[in-house]
Amino acid sequence: MLRSASSRWINLTYLNLGNVMLTISGLNKTYANGVHALNDINLNIPAGLFGLLGPNGAGKSSLMRTIATLQEADSGSIAFNGIDVLRDKDALRRQLGYLPQDFGVYPKVSAEQLLNHFAVLKGLTAKGERREMVEGLLRQTNLWDVRKRALGTYSGGMRQRFGIAQALLGAPKLVIVDEPTAGLDPDERNRFLNLLAEIGEQVVVILSTHIVEDVTDLCPRMAMIVKGRVLIQGKPQSAIETIQNQVWRKHVEKHQLDQYKAQFNVLSTRLVAGKPQINVFAESQPDDGFEPVEADLEDVYFLQLRRAESESRTSTTATATAAAGVSHVA
Amino acid sequence: MWREFFSFELRHQLRQPLLWIAAIVMALMAFGASSTDAIQVGGAIGNVNRNAPVVIVQFLGAFTLLSMLIVTIFIAGAVLRDHEIGIADMLFVTPMRKRDYLFGRFAAGYVACLAIFIVIALGLMLGPLMPWVDQARVGAFSLQPYLWGFGVMVLPNLLFIGALLLLLATTTRKMMLVYVGVLGFLVLWTVAGVFTREVQRDWLAVLIDPLGLRALARMTRYFSVTESNAGLPPFSGFLLANRLLWSGLSVLMLAATLLLFKPQREGTGRSLFGRRTLPPSAPSTAPIVLPRRHAAHFSPLTPWRQCWQILCLDAAAVFRSVPFLVMLLFGVMNFIAGASLGGERFGTSVYPVTRLMLQSLNSSFTFMLVIVVMFYAGELIFRERQARIADVIDAMPMPNWVPLVAKCLALIGVVLTFLFVGDLAAMVFQLVRGGVAIEPLLYLKGSLLQAHSFILMGLIALALQVFTNNKFVGYFSVILLLVMQAVLSMLHFDHNLYNFGGVPATPYSDMNGFGHFLTGWFWFALYWTLFALALLVLAQAFSVRGLAPAWRARVTLAGKRLRGGAGFALAALLLCFGGTGGWIFYNTNVLNQYVPGDVAMDKQASYEKQYQRFQNLPHPKVTDVKADVAIYPAERRVVIDGHYRMQNKSELPLDTLRINVNPMVVTRWLDLPPHQITSDDPALGWQVIKLTQPIAPGASLDLHFVVDVTNRGFTNAGAPDSINQNGTFFNNADFFPQFGYVKRRELDDRNERRKRGLGEPQRLAKLEDQSARSRSVLAGEADWINFESTVSTSADQIALAPGYLQKTWEQDGRRYFQYRMDRPMVPFFAYLSARWEVKKAFWHDIPIEIYYDKKHPYNVDRMIAASQKALTYFNAEFTPYQHHQLRIIEFPGYREFAQSFANTVPYSEGIGFIADLRNTDDIDYVSYATAHEIAHQWWGHQVLGADVQGGSMLLESLAQYSALMVMEKEYGREHLRRFFKYELDNYLRSRGGEKIEELPLARVENQPYIHYRKGSLIMYRLRDEIGDVALNRALKRFLQEKAFQQPPYTNTTELLQAIRAETPADKQALITDMFEKIVFYDNRVTEASAKQRPDGKWDVRMQLHLAKFDADGKGKESVRVYDEPVEIAVFARAPGAAEKAERTLYLERRMLTGSDPVVTVTVAEKPFEAGVDPYNKLIDRNSADNRKAISF
Repeated sequence: MLRSASSRWINLTYLNLGNVMLTISGLNKTYANGVHALNDINLNIPAGLFGLLGPNGAGKSSLMRTIATLQEADSGSIAFNGIDVLRDKDALRRQLGYLPQDFGVYPKVSAEQLLNHFAVLKGLTAKGERREMVEGLLRQTNLWDVRKRALGTYSGGMRQRFGIAQALLGAPKLVIVDEPTAGLDPDERNRFLNLLAEIGEQVVVILSTHIVEDVTDLCPRMAMIVKGRVLIQGKPQSAIETIQNQVWRKHVEKHQLDQYKAQFNVLSTRLVAGKPQINVFAESQPDDGFEPVEADLEDVYFLQLRRAESESRTSTTATATAAAGVSHVA
Repeated sequence: MWREFFSFELRHQLRQPLLWIAAIVMALMAFGASSTDAIQVGGAIGNVNRNAPVVIVQFLGAFTLLSMLIVTIFIAGAVLRDHEIGIADMLFVTPMRKRDYLFGRFAAGYVACLAIFIVIALGLMLGPLMPWVDQARVGAFSLQPYLWGFGVMVLPNLLFIGALLLLLATTTRKMMLVYVGVLGFLVLWTVAGVFTREVQRDWLAVLIDPLGLRALARMTRYFSVTESNAGLPPFSGFLLANRLLWSGLSVLMLAATLLLFKPQREGTGRSLFGRRTLPPSAPSTAPIVLPRRHAAHFSPLTPWRQCWQILCLDAAAVFRSVPFLVMLLFGVMNFIAGASLGGERFGTSVYPVTRLMLQSLNSSFTFMLVIVVMFYAGELIFRERQARIADVIDAMPMPNWVPLVAKCLALIGVVLTFLFVGDLAAMVFQLVRGGVAIEPLLYLKGSLLQAHSFILMGLIALALQVFTNNKFVGYFSVILLLVMQAVLSMLHFDHNLYNFGGVPATPYSDMNGFGHFLTGWFWFALYWTLFALALLVLAQAFSVRGLAPAWRARVTLAGKRLRGGAGFALAALLLCFGGTGGWIFYNTNVLNQYVPGDVAMDKQASYEKQYQRFQNLPHPKVTDVKADVAIYPAERRVVIDGHYRMQNKSELPLDTLRINVNPMVVTRWLDLPPHQITSDDPALGWQVIKLTQPIAPGASLDLHFVVDVTNRGFTNAGAPDSINQNGTFFNNADFFPQFGYVKRRELDDRNERRKRGLGEPQRLAKLEDQSARSRSVLAGEADWINFESTVSTSADQIALAPGYLQKTWEQDGRRYFQYRMDRPMVPFFAYLSARWEVKKAFWHDIPIEIYYDKKHPYNVDRMIAASQKALTYFNAEFTPYQHHQLRIIEFPGYREFAQSFANTVPYSEGIGFIADLRNTDDIDYVSYATAHEIAHQWWGHQVLGADVQGGSMLLESLAQYSALMVMEKEYGREHLRRFFKYELDNYLRSRGGEKIEELPLARVENQPYIHYRKGSLIMYRLRDEIGDVALNRALKRFLQEKAFQQPPYTNTTELLQAIRAETPADKQALITDMFEKIVFYDNRVTEASAKQRPDGKWDVRMQLHLAKFDADGKGKESVRVYDEPVEIAVFARAPGAAEKAERTLYLERRMLTGSDPVVTVTVAEKPFEAGVDPYNKLIDRNSADNRKAISF
């Protein structure tokens, strides 16, 4: 379903880019209020769609903003395609497409005008090319018919599509999209992810999300960030395989829930037909009521989250232990 | 329930920075207005106490009008905000009652506005406590006027404004439309004021002003200083009626709002302005399209393209934004109101020449730019962040400087656009009024000159916004900068080198253009531009891209960014800044003298302290002046090679010369006889020379001197000068050496005197001082002089001096004019040089010549005609004209007066020459002023008073009377009656501004409101009481006896003797009242009714009120018995006819008894109006109630 769309135009554009690679090493950032937003981040991101998973406040946006040259790091380096990003910001900006999480517009300006504006700022100064590209993107994001309307009158989805259009201006080699599918209806979300996947065949696309399913379906590679640290990076499938056959499921009564939570490593709880159903991580079957289930990325995600939580609860000094808990999967 | 809305809303309002910014800005205005005269709110406060109750109340009232645009934000915002931020849906589904909602919100907005006014009141309270305020002008503090002001003005006005805004907001639901409504209101308010100004019964103007300002003004307009300081007008009459009327209407508007308000989503109800359709939303399924995609190409030009792009988008956003349009509209409206009244004298307007249009724009339009620039500097810098689009734009591949440069250019564009719109409005105004040529190039120049300081301010504001990286801190720092500037200049730190953005003035004159003023302006403008640019380069380094780092990190980052090109540019700019500063300093402080205001006053004080003791010592007098004066207009240089002949007119030998020279010029004495310099003070221009060989009584001494007046470089202030490229006009007191102590140089501000250890100011010697009669009012140690002068100027100009042209020649590319006066004249002479058109005419065989600028031909013929009529009347009624030529000469409008020298009358381009008298009903003040100046050939140039009290009455009041008689002959008494209304109003209002003491006319101490305004009124009343024949006879005798007299000079006592000799016994007391006392009347018709008698005639019954007061010098009044006959009259007028068309049915002077007499008279026709003193001949405290329509 996801890889069915046409890739003709993308292939035309992103031809011969070579093997691009974004390398992040030892990246650290502590805010003035003491929050350690980035804690020794090391990531290698090749061409393709790269999923960045993490709960709210994990440091995803800080990382993306740092890559997008909008924020300084305390230490570490970022290299992209031979560019030292932290030093030569302008060089990266020339290859960057960025859709921030909290994205606004000038309400009284039309989509066409603003996209044209962005195109100039991206360096598309040749009028003909620019017009062609603006028109193409407006059509591609299906905003062509409403291009003259003020952006203030756009619905959330339309606005988001506009954001995507601007991020794709000027043939970027690095595309960073922060929580892009929020506010999109399922149809729009699919189309959008298709688009990203297609682009990702040749360029680096970093997609941050807390929707685990998006990553599983789309991203050849991913990383999971919690509290500023990378807990996992690699192929989603490899991550899933590390916990295969260790996830168990059981339907329980509501009043038993707390007891189970205390007793087992409960990854997730959801209501099925009004009754709680829990997923538990254990090396062997905890008791008869549990049945094995096929592990998925969500289980990996929750397992990592639980571990990170329990670590910070038991000791904040136990960084070494925490580091040991990080799985590096190939 | 409403409490919840109220407290929630109030918390929100009080947290709004804008509220406090507005409050602080207005409080600063209040503070400034109550602590200095430099800032005025709703007019000058004159000489009453700075914290006089009336002043406080007027300020509070004026601020309610000023605050209107701000109040809109809080009150209309309180109900519109929910729609704007989209919370209305959530709110309107709650089971709230709209009454609670509206009332809670309104009350909160109201209280927030009150908070602003409390801050304003604090500013008013603090102002008078400042150390620079003359404590003699500060009364005891009382809270009562503030409470009165809040109760009578602020609370009802805010209620009215709030109710109006709420109604507008709930019916239109658009902030823009609310603003349009507010503007509409302001337009109507202004227009109503203009239209009702001339209405006989101004109760209409008073009642239809919703803010009550006119009612208040009406009740306090003639308050004397004492009255203003003592208390407030009674809360009754017009004021009470006005307040009740509008408070009632406010309540009605609130009720209407409650009815009309629909708690529904916007657009779903029925709209008042037609139906709106919401556009459909776009489907998300897209067809597959195959555009080619292009990678960006970066070239050195790319940043400029990006810059241009941002500039266009930002500028367009400003142009479309509501506050900009509102301020522009408000400015244009204010300009039209200002320009319609600008330059008006006696109700006669002037031709709207471009020069005046620029002045009007400057004073009533351009100031809006302060707000525009300050506000949009913040808006532009934070525009992306406010729209939450900053992250996208910050990640764009463009250098750091691009957005900042774009925003600077956008702001420059905004300033220029604003000014050009003003220019367009002015041109339309000129076209509508007609009669003048439009000068687009002058508009351009004037606007660019204006633009510079606002652009500079904008650039600094932008830089500050970038540095502070917080919009409101940024606003605050700009305000702080403005305040600092004001405070610095108040403390006499007024050098433009450190007064931020300060540039010298660039006054414009049609004759002289921008003259030499542009040079200094240019250098200062360059200096500050360099500074602003340097600051911007620095700001660029500090500009935040993406997330704002901590300050330390910003500094480090800025350091990094300043390496390379930016750092080089900064260094270069600072270097040029320093260099320009040095050049300016060299010009203003080395080539020229820079004298700060306080230093100048120190000098005055030092002059008085050191040399006053020489005041009355005998001194040789100047009897002959011969001077070669070379004027070099292009270099603005004058070289005087002069000879004085001094004669010892005393009984004793004199050996001492006490010399005053202008310390700014170089004066050299040549061939002085053997002497000793006993005192030399070049800083004050004072020198005492003791001659080895005294001058024997009756003997003479010849003196030869050379004065070199050079103007090199440029000055700090750019103050108008008397030597110009086209339009030089100076008199002997400016540059020629003078003798003896010059009393005029004394400091007369009480507070400044006290600071410098000087006593109470004494303006003039007492009328009774016989020794002071040895000197005339016009000059110190000189009586009548023989005068001869050769003036030279550049080849394209004419040079003039008093006397008759003997010959003229050209030599070495310069023109020479030799003038000689054929009889002794007053030692007061002027030199003029310019390129003029000359029009010649004759009165009998005496030539009349008008020297005028070719742009101002409008009233030249009128001046000639007035001269002819004046000469005719004065020769017939007084004595013969002593000269055989008369010249009227236009000079640049830097100074606005006309002045009479022997056979020579310089006349400013700012008055008369551009008066618009196309409407023949308007008061012809051109003829009047011309006749007045010609009258000075008698009053001043024949009879010259002593330098004592009343001296200026002999000059000015008599010239006023003479001119009035010329006008009466030409236009009739009705024309004059309108003129007197202005004179009376001016006199009554000006006395509130008296600084020391009001004096009776015969003791006037150079007080213009007395010798001109009251002088006209009193002299014309005298003419009315004793008749023009008797009065002219008295004046003729006075002239015959005193003309060309040697010392002792005459005084007003002698004039009054001459007048009393022609006055019947029963009016002698009146002479005392008019000239020797300060007397007021308050007469009115309280009731007038009429009944037709059987014989067809009408009995008119009038109930009158008569009152007569004495006032002392401070305005304290005491009631007197009404001891003189009073004129009563009955008039007939066709229905709807103008006052001009009335017929007098009855007019008689009658002696009435009691303060409220009832009079019945019989008239032949149906009467219309009854009046007491109907022509306002008396100095009546309220001249508008002297007539009343008759009821039947």
